[in-house]
Amino acid sequence: MSAEDSNPAATPTLREDIEGDARWMSLHNRFVSDSKDKEPDVLFVGDSLIQLLHQFGIWRQLFSPLHALNFGVGGDATQHVLWRLSNGELDNISPKVVVLWVGTFNYAHTPEQICGGIMAIVQVIKNKLPNSRTVVLGLLPRGKSPNLRRERNAAVNQLVQEAVTSLPHASFLNVDPGFVHSNGSISHQDMYDYLHLTPQGFQAVCDPLHAHLKTMLEKPAEN
Amino acid sequence: MSGDEVNPAAVAKPVEDAQGDDRWMSQHIRFVQECKDAEPDVLFVGDSMIQLMKQYEVWRELFSPLHALNFGIGGDNTCNVLWRLQNGELDNIRPKVVVLWVGTNNHQHTAEQVAGGVHAIAQLLTSRLPKAKIVVLGLLPRGERPNPLREKNAAVNEILCDSLPRLGRAQLLDVSREFVHSDGAISPQDMFDFLHLTPTGYRTLSKPLSDLLLQILEEKPGERRAPLV
Ligand SMILES: [Ca+2]
Repeated sequence: MSAEDSNPAATPTLREDIEGDARWMSLHNRFVSDSKDKEPDVLFVGDSLIQLLHQFGIWRQLFSPLHALNFGVGGDATQHVLWRLSNGELDNISPKVVVLWVGTFNYAHTPEQICGGIMAIVQVIKNKLPNSRTVVLGLLPRGKSPNLRRERNAAVNQLVQEAVTSLPHASFLNVDPGFVHSNGSISHQDMYDYLHLTPQGFQAVCDPLHAHLKTMLEKPAEN
Repeated sequence: MSGDEVNPAAVAKPVEDAQGDDRWMSQHIRFVQECKDAEPDVLFVGDSMIQLMKQYEVWRELFSPLHALNFGIGGDNTCNVLWRLQNGELDNIRPKVVVLWVGTNNHQHTAEQVAGGVHAIAQLLTSRLPKAKIVVLGLLPRGERPNPLREKNAAVNEILCDSLPRLGRAQLLDVSREFVHSDGAISPQDMFDFLHLTPTGYRTLSKPLSDLLLQILEEKPGERRAPLV
């Protein structure tokens, strides 16, 4: 058994229905059924940061016109997204670009494990959608003041950035416009709970992301 | 539950910083600071259902003009809200109305305990703010299909409907029936993850809530003042 096999962040895992209302599986089933009657050019996949984007005006303004679908589930870690994508969410669609944003909820894992989880997702996307390209968004800093979670997310970004360099079908995009101020703090005007973005925070992230996606969709050969 | 037993949902408790980024305490400290800088007429307190409302258009449109502050923190249960209110979030302010919405995250507690926890918070509010009216929002159903948590939340509402009026200045506003379709399903158009509300979902709640607040504040919709924050 290789080291990768024993990485919990890279092992497809069902989210247990601890609360007892089956919401995670309901969302997964809805995504699978959504994918049957839609033909998205862009697929957004990830955790609550992807999911919440869908609720704000900027989604309709910037991403709906690109024919985008949103498969975000709050609280998902890499192993959960891996399970969802391995179990039907990619089976009926062929988007040109997949935007992947996940990893900040992998609380129990090291940066190496989280990077391994992200790369495992990139590989599943490659296997299921050989003609798609994946854009991995960099994890954002979190917490009002400097803390270990910020350092870990930065470490993940560095590892992922290195790992995708050699892959023709994947790229890394840092979407942090500079959320950390010179005094080390993050403003609640950008992240209302120092993790999730406000509409203003999403605007700062999404304008460059939108421009990047437009370029990718227009020049399919480049990476 | 007999009067002698301690209700675990009515025990004040801060959230442990399990994630290591101290976000809960950072938000609490910010709210305490906001109390020093603002003079809200309406205070919204609770969990993510309260918190998320502030991120949508409906907040600026209907509630911010009432001079409202929003002290919502995602994931909070009754114990956590109780702790926050006992530790500075009511200092220096005299809101005329408090909107309280919490309880759906009390996963380890029974319906009776959750209702007791909400009641304890309402009681604290009436004693700390002798002139304020308390509007408790009924817990919403959750999950795409019928499930035990829906039954539990409905049971909490039923108890609160009876118990809150005894506090004199507290009442329940329950719009939970609006969200379940005839086939028992909840639509992702209303709750994007079958728990948290979409902008459309908040519309359903906001009209009756805004009407009630205006009535309490004795203010007509045409006479709104400038937003507070
Ligand atoms: Ca590459």
